[in-house]
Amino acid sequence: MPIIELEDVSKLYGFGDAATVALDEVTLHIEEGEFVAVMGPSGCGKSTLMNIIGLLDRPSHGKFTLNSRSVAKLRPNQAAKYRRDTIGFIFQNFNLLPRLTALENVALPLVYKGMSPTRRTRQASDILARVGLQHREYYYPRQLSGGQTQCVAIARALVNNPKLIIADEPTGNLDSAGSRLVMELLSEIHKTGNTILFVTHNPELTRYATRVVYMHDGGIIRDEATAIGEVAETARRSMYSVSTTSVEDDLAGVSALMNHLPDAEPANELTMKQKTRKKAKRGVRGHR
Amino acid sequence: MYSFNRGNFKTAIASVRASKWRSLMTMMGIIIGIVSVVTVVSIGEGVKQQVISQTNHLGKDLITIRPGKVVNRDKEGNITGVNLFASYTTAGALTNEDVDTVQKTKGIQQAVPLSIVAGAIMYDRQTFPDVIMIGTSPDLPTVLGQNIPYGDFFTTNDSNQNGAIIGPKVAQSVFGQEVPLGQSFEFLGQTFIVRGMFEEFETSPLSLEADFNNAIFIPHQVVQEITNKKATIYEIIAKPAVASQGDIVASATAANLKKAHGNQEDFTVLKQNESLNVTSNIINLLTRFIAGIAAISLLVGGIGIMNVMLVSVTERMQEIGIRKAIGATSRQIMNQFMIEATVLSVLGGLIGVGVSLLINVLLRILTNLEPIISWEVVALAAGVSLVVGIIFGTVPALKAARKDPIDALRNE
Repeated sequence: MPIIELEDVSKLYGFGDAATVALDEVTLHIEEGEFVAVMGPSGCGKSTLMNIIGLLDRPSHGKFTLNSRSVAKLRPNQAAKYRRDTIGFIFQNFNLLPRLTALENVALPLVYKGMSPTRRTRQASDILARVGLQHREYYYPRQLSGGQTQCVAIARALVNNPKLIIADEPTGNLDSAGSRLVMELLSEIHKTGNTILFVTHNPELTRYATRVVYMHDGGIIRDEATAIGEVAETARRSMYSVSTTSVEDDLAGVSALMNHLPDAEPANELTMKQKTRKKAKRGVRGHR
Repeated sequence: MYSFNRGNFKTAIASVRASKWRSLMTMMGIIIGIVSVVTVVSIGEGVKQQVISQTNHLGKDLITIRPGKVVNRDKEGNITGVNLFASYTTAGALTNEDVDTVQKTKGIQQAVPLSIVAGAIMYDRQTFPDVIMIGTSPDLPTVLGQNIPYGDFFTTNDSNQNGAIIGPKVAQSVFGQEVPLGQSFEFLGQTFIVRGMFEEFETSPLSLEADFNNAIFIPHQVVQEITNKKATIYEIIAKPAVASQGDIVASATAANLKKAHGNQEDFTVLKQNESLNVTSNIINLLTRFIAGIAAISLLVGGIGIMNVMLVSVTERMQEIGIRKAIGATSRQIMNQFMIEATVLSVLGGLIGVGVSLLINVLLRILTNLEPIISWEVVALAAGVSLVVGIIFGTVPALKAARKDPIDALRNE
């Protein structure tokens, strides 16, 4: 039974001529227990898709059923409660509250659920033990390594027993050791029956996934099942091609695009370049 | 309601502590506001209590008669208004005949005139313009119930009319002695000899009475002689024979005087508790007026809190985003910021009350004021700061609560 059912979901930003299409009639079904990797270049709509699936955002058009409840038109407060009980979030930049200890950070979703302090402390402590950080309960996020910090964030995502875990580039800010730690942990969580959806730029990480979805320009261009332990086929082909995550690459891509633009006026060239440079920078920042 | 309220409270305390300096600066407005309101009200209350205790000491039953129509009364005799400048605007003075009239009124035991003589005394070739010369009659100590521990008061049959009785402050300020009995001084060309000294009078600031501690009392006849009958009686104090009949006696006195003045009411008969009412009315009015001005700083303090909370909301956008992403509802975010603003302002209120207590002690030590901080004032201060926190916390809290989680998260 699918936990996520997206039917012709679109997301538009802005109005009229200035409207941008972030998602273009995406249809996606994800079964319970799948471990899905989402790949694609910057600005392809991955994050928008994650936000919509994570109930942080509402689709402009289309139907969205999450855990057999239609959620496309939920009000913000209803969405907050449903999100709290159904979804766990993991972010690229961890997003732990710096003034709270690891334990308090993990217990925070339970606070909003209205659980008593004793119970939520016990539950948070159990989850921290599960991610192997019991001895770091009273550490503040700044006192932990990147990998450990992300593990605390994972513990926070798990504490409510969510059916679905959404991770937006969970390893984006981590070194290879940290990435490994985090991915092994997610993999273990997957084994206990959770559905996990994660965004990545690293083809290597598709080894952990059971399914890989490729996105481009707001649409899903390829969707393939893959065996755990193997790099997905399409991802493998792109593995040795130029990565597009650095500023230079983005600029190179833009200038290549500019070269193919039909008769761009010379007077506009400078301003165009400046604009695109800014755009490129913004795009990069958006990923961090 | 929910246990998260306690969590919010802890979060609020933590965030106040995290930026101590800024929190203190934010609270400063509230602190100043509360301190000024509490201090003003407590000084007013203190002065009122001092006046009351002085009056109680003099005896509630005393009747005072003053020139001019100082108060307006309704038909039942209740005071409806006070005219502070009556003695200047309405003509009329009390005379020796008035003293006799009062004395002869049925139910009056004794009546004494008080006349103030303009002029400065000379002692040891120095003049002391601050000392008040009061002319009165021998019954004054009995009427006031005031003891004379040293020497005695003059009597009606005194052959020597140059005796003077001094208030205790004069002993030090003029004669430089504890008990300057037998010392002589000059006043308007006549020599007087100190023959007695009063025990200390209970005084209070803002009282309608002259400060008897700083006065020299001489016989009223002598005053008439040396001023060529120009000194006017500024007050007649009368004591009713039966204390409980003060009201009846007072109205009888008023009726007699009115008849004697040709049916003109150019004088005021006040019972002691009424003159107390007049005084406390004035003090209350002043206190309210100044407290009202001080309350404006509370408003400013509230705006300060709102301002800082708005900045805080902007600074903590990411935190709001995170909290919303992990399932906080708008209401819960709103609660958090409301509680934070309230904690700030109530904390400011409490510090303000603390500072007021300190100022209270300092005032008691350094001045002759005896401010009283009543629990009502403290409760009011706490309540007001709570209300200020809630009112001025609402706008920033709403701003935080309405934030879109994605926008908030994207904010760095």
